[in-house]
Amino acid sequence: MVADVHPIWLAQSKLRRRRYDECIQLCTDALQRNPVDQVAWYLKCRAITLKSWIDDTEIEEEGVADLLMDEHNVAQVARPGTSLARPMTGAAASGQSPVVRPMTGSGRPLTGFVRPGTSAARPGTGSTKPGTALAAALKAARPGTGSSSSSRPLTTSGRFVRLGTASLAAAGHGGPFIAAERLDLRKYAARPHLARVLCDYILYVDHNMQKDHNMQKVLELAGHATAEAGFADWWWKERLGKAYYQLGLLRDAEKQLASAAKNQDMLVLTHQLAKISTRLDQPLAALSLFSEAAGRHPGDIGLLLGQARLQEGLGNRQAALALYHQVLALDASNVEAIACLAADHFYSDQPELALRYYRRLLQMGVVSAETWANLGLCCFYAGQYDFTFSCFERALALAGDAALPDIWYNIGQVAIGIGDLSWAQQCFRLAAALDPGHAEALNNLGVLQLKRRQPQQAASCFRAGMKAADHVFELHYNAALLAHRQGDLQEAVSQVKEALALYPEHTDSLELKKLLKAQLNAL
Amino acid sequence: MSESQKRAPLQEVLPKSGLVVSEKGGLSELLCKPKLLPLKSITLQKLEEMEAQVAALNQQQQAANRPQTSAARFASQ
Repeated sequence: MVADVHPIWLAQSKLRRRRYDECIQLCTDALQRNPVDQVAWYLKCRAITLKSWIDDTEIEEEGVADLLMDEHNVAQVARPGTSLARPMTGAAASGQSPVVRPMTGSGRPLTGFVRPGTSAARPGTGSTKPGTALAAALKAARPGTGSSSSSRPLTTSGRFVRLGTASLAAAGHGGPFIAAERLDLRKYAARPHLARVLCDYILYVDHNMQKDHNMQKVLELAGHATAEAGFADWWWKERLGKAYYQLGLLRDAEKQLASAAKNQDMLVLTHQLAKISTRLDQPLAALSLFSEAAGRHPGDIGLLLGQARLQEGLGNRQAALALYHQVLALDASNVEAIACLAADHFYSDQPELALRYYRRLLQMGVVSAETWANLGLCCFYAGQYDFTFSCFERALALAGDAALPDIWYNIGQVAIGIGDLSWAQQCFRLAAALDPGHAEALNNLGVLQLKRRQPQQAASCFRAGMKAADHVFELHYNAALLAHRQGDLQEAVSQVKEALALYPEHTDSLELKKLLKAQLNAL
Repeated sequence: MSESQKRAPLQEVLPKSGLVVSEKGGLSELLCKPKLLPLKSITLQKLEEMEAQVAALNQQQQAANRPQTSAARFASQ
């Protein structure tokens, strides 16, 4: 029965049903029979593109080189609350203090949902010490947030170059399907349908080592095509904008996208313009873009989510929460909103509510190590002790290498909660062994060793933790306390200063500092 | 009993250092808080999948390119 069906029709049907590999196979056979079959070429191109398509409005990464050689003039010291590099912290933002909610390397509280680039730190105006910008940018992000995916690529397009080898290798014998360098783009620009498919192919699939070379091809093709269309087609201007963005020419990208928006009001243009504003560290401009678009498109979740992410980035927790609630009112199954609200409830001392949200995620089918681990934590802190360990067992079974240290760290926290300190120590040791840079596990290990009266090991744990990560203020405070107890006042003073630099309102640190000052003055 | 209480007014005994007795605990070490694992977006998952494929391909290629010693060749026969 299947053999009687016309192969091109079958290929088209498979493409629509997202069976890309089978579609590619059918089209390859068809092209072998007739190398100039335009339909088969079109379908194969489309299938390959869709197979490796990713939503690039989601990707907010900046490469190391882009960060350091950023030529766009942005105010060096922004007012608080207007720059993503300096989020509002502490009481001003009605946020949860670092005592309650762990901080990430970017200086912002731990978030419930992570996208490519969210967890990466933004050095620059935020860093206090000169020279840390380069160090922070080059330091690979914690494995807990996703190992290779969150280690910063060298340039924006660098991540795609890494993926380029996959597409080259996957092309198999005969080399890549389309060799963009050898095509006569002007000829293709005259045929609008083939041109669009080709443009998308080059943008999403054809990453080779000369990435910029490919972007220039896209620019060339899109430039010819826009001229052919009489400068009235928003699609080509949007692609031009995308290419300029990947090349790092942000102002040109902005111009193209703005002109495209005049032709046709599309949400994807709003998202990309907001992304450019975010990249230029102008979150308020991005917010106004989103809210203006939301006026024209009420009820669109993408715009609300974009606003919520920016508010979270700025540290305006209440505003972000209100937006997430609005998102859920419109779409009760939105994973990002549920995850962020659950995290917020957990750290606001309402684990039962967080439990409800994570159960909803499970019901929706978002079954992952992260969901199970968070569920286990919520069960324990909500008092449902019978479910805690089975949740953690499932989390361990599903976890990849990146999530394991954090899961063991959380099991250690539960162990402390039930009073089994020796088991807790084993768990923290395991977490630290799996990830030598896990500062929180090292901190807790140090505290437990102090309880066992092993100050030397504790001090080395704290030192290791401080070397691994800079953002955990508890390490500095504990080291200061230990030094104070051992009589090393100078060390204690320097450590407590570092702790206060990370979290200026910590009452215990302030008290310790007062105590140390009094003792130093008495000398 | 009640008569003697009615007769003599209660003698107030006030402490010398402030009226409120507060026992401020000494400073103690601080444990880090439990960490919720952030959920990953679909884009991030797809990116990680693609990068895992790249890594696997690279490994395969490296294994293929590595010059085989005669012992390895003998073992693989």
